[in-house]
Amino acid sequence: MTTRRQILKSAVAPMIVPSVVLGQRAGAVAPSDKIVFGGIGIGSRGAHVLSKLLAFDDARFVAICDVRNERREEIKATADKRYGNHDCQMYDDQYALLARGDIDAVLIATGDRWHTPLAIIAAQHGKDVYCEKPCSMSIEESWALADAFRRYGRIYQAGCQRRNGANFVLCKELLDSGALGKLQTLYANVGPSVNWPPLPSRDWLAGEPLPPKQVLDWERWLGPAPWRPYHPSYVRGGWRNFYDFHGGGILEWGSHTVDLCQWAAGYDNIQPVEYEPVGTNVGPYKVLCKYANGVKLVMRDDGWDGALKTGSCSFRIEGDKGWVETGDQTRIECSDNIRPLLRPTESASLALVNHVADLLRAIKSRQTPKASAAAAANSHVTCHAAFIAYQRGKTLSWDVAKREFTNDDIANRMRSRALREPWRI
Amino acid sequence: MPQTQTTAPAPQAAKPKPAPPPVPPPEFMEGDIARMDGPALLAVLNDSGASEFKKAKACQRIGEAGFKEAVPALVALLSDDHLSTYARYGLEPIADPSVDDALRAALPRLKGKYLIGVINSISKRRDAKATPALVKLMHEQDVETARAAASAIGHIGGLTAVRDLRAALPKTQGAVRVAVADACLVCAERLLSEGKRDDALALYASMTAADIPKPVRLAAMQGIVREETSLERPR
Repeated sequence: MTTRRQILKSAVAPMIVPSVVLGQRAGAVAPSDKIVFGGIGIGSRGAHVLSKLLAFDDARFVAICDVRNERREEIKATADKRYGNHDCQMYDDQYALLARGDIDAVLIATGDRWHTPLAIIAAQHGKDVYCEKPCSMSIEESWALADAFRRYGRIYQAGCQRRNGANFVLCKELLDSGALGKLQTLYANVGPSVNWPPLPSRDWLAGEPLPPKQVLDWERWLGPAPWRPYHPSYVRGGWRNFYDFHGGGILEWGSHTVDLCQWAAGYDNIQPVEYEPVGTNVGPYKVLCKYANGVKLVMRDDGWDGALKTGSCSFRIEGDKGWVETGDQTRIECSDNIRPLLRPTESASLALVNHVADLLRAIKSRQTPKASAAAAANSHVTCHAAFIAYQRGKTLSWDVAKREFTNDDIANRMRSRALREPWRI
Repeated sequence: MPQTQTTAPAPQAAKPKPAPPPVPPPEFMEGDIARMDGPALLAVLNDSGASEFKKAKACQRIGEAGFKEAVPALVALLSDDHLSTYARYGLEPIADPSVDDALRAALPRLKGKYLIGVINSISKRRDAKATPALVKLMHEQDVETARAAASAIGHIGGLTAVRDLRAALPKTQGAVRVAVADACLVCAERLLSEGKRDDALALYASMTAADIPKPVRLAAMQGIVREETSLERPR
């Protein structure tokens, strides 16, 4: 009989990465050193991520799965052009792609409803994952995501690329170094209500005739979301702002900016204990949150570019000695005492390149990437809690240890959503 | 003499504004349903003239309200092609044993995706009384049903579940076996969280056998390493 000590000894092998994959050799990357990727549900955003991935010599993209025929063919054409061959295989069933033993990792860029179930299925198949945000549709899904990747020891990188953006990194460094003093308040610019109201619609669009299944598989497109009649608008990106598919402005941008706040503060394993919604479904809105240590988190709709026009997805850190604020324009606004500490940052577009590089590094080294499943789950739980508070229209208290609201039974019942058969998490 | 073009270049075309999103028709607007109380929502479900849309929305709001009097009406929709998910949306969050009783009672009369849906709901509610029925379903010929049952047993957890899953491992194959092994990992984690460390480690160890699916085998090995090297482990 095998003893635990023997297992420990043998288990070290898969935990330690052969040195050959830890460093790049000079010149071309050997085929055995390449990380082989497949993609699932690659639309416009996914294609952008894929374009960065394809630029890395140590990654190779060999397969695409999509419910839309034209998308499959577009992505295949992109990959084949990059490699000068016809090797990219097309699938309409994710299980067929995930069954391939030569695929190490998958890029998931479907609609939000698919993110958690697909990522978990990928982990169960032994794959590492890059998954677009928002990563989950509920608090329950967020925890399940973190649990699955911990259980299987797989690498997960959420599409929260600003964690690898130089301007955002500098802001965190200024807090970590003590230059900003003791942390007082974090500000996350959430999705503007003119684009994504905080309360998505629970209505349906009028049904239209279904296209042929080989053009679009509506059942698979819906996936874990509850059934509704087909309308082409959903498929063209109009699924956003519908509750069954989307978490409104709070999830749409909070998955970036709340995530940045918690990352900067070192709060990747705690959530606020109080959530106070302010506003209606029209016009600017806020959710005022408070951590157990008294630090405040303000989710606010300050328009696309933020109050100081630092660009989309901006965030701000206020300490008792100074403050910084930045966004996708990469310019950093700050209090006068911080200005001498600033240094040139880099183009916002490099954040995604850095983020993909961080993933590849993590896959090779088996070290945790910047936007791990655990970190993403934590920030998504915070966003979902705020989203629920906004739907309930009342201040909610949250028990971090028990993972439940302490003052509203309805809010607790909103922590999970039933998934359409046969899907589960 | 060649003519030179003297007309000014055409101004750059204005960026087209995206078309406004389609507007839901009145019959597909949630409207008052969002503000109804439990009895009113139940009345929607019991109204034979109510539309599919209204029933779907009522199910979702009933789940949020936790209105247990609606359980029979929700259960009646579990085999409805379009409303079955909505029915489970309503049932899953209701913290009343009548839901567990009803879901268990539904198992023998459902098939296919509807049966899988109910198994998934039982899994979420962690109804241990359903374990004997789930063990039978784990050995069903239908692979998807068997996988769902194995997963549910794993989520319910406990030493009984461990015994049933371990007994199923040599009797299952392919995708079902993968699901059984995955369920064992889930059980091991729960045993750890309940302080049953030796049981958990023994389960992990059994999952490191050469014939266990590779992702699960590696996960089990890592589970052992994680636990044995944890600073929080008993010494």
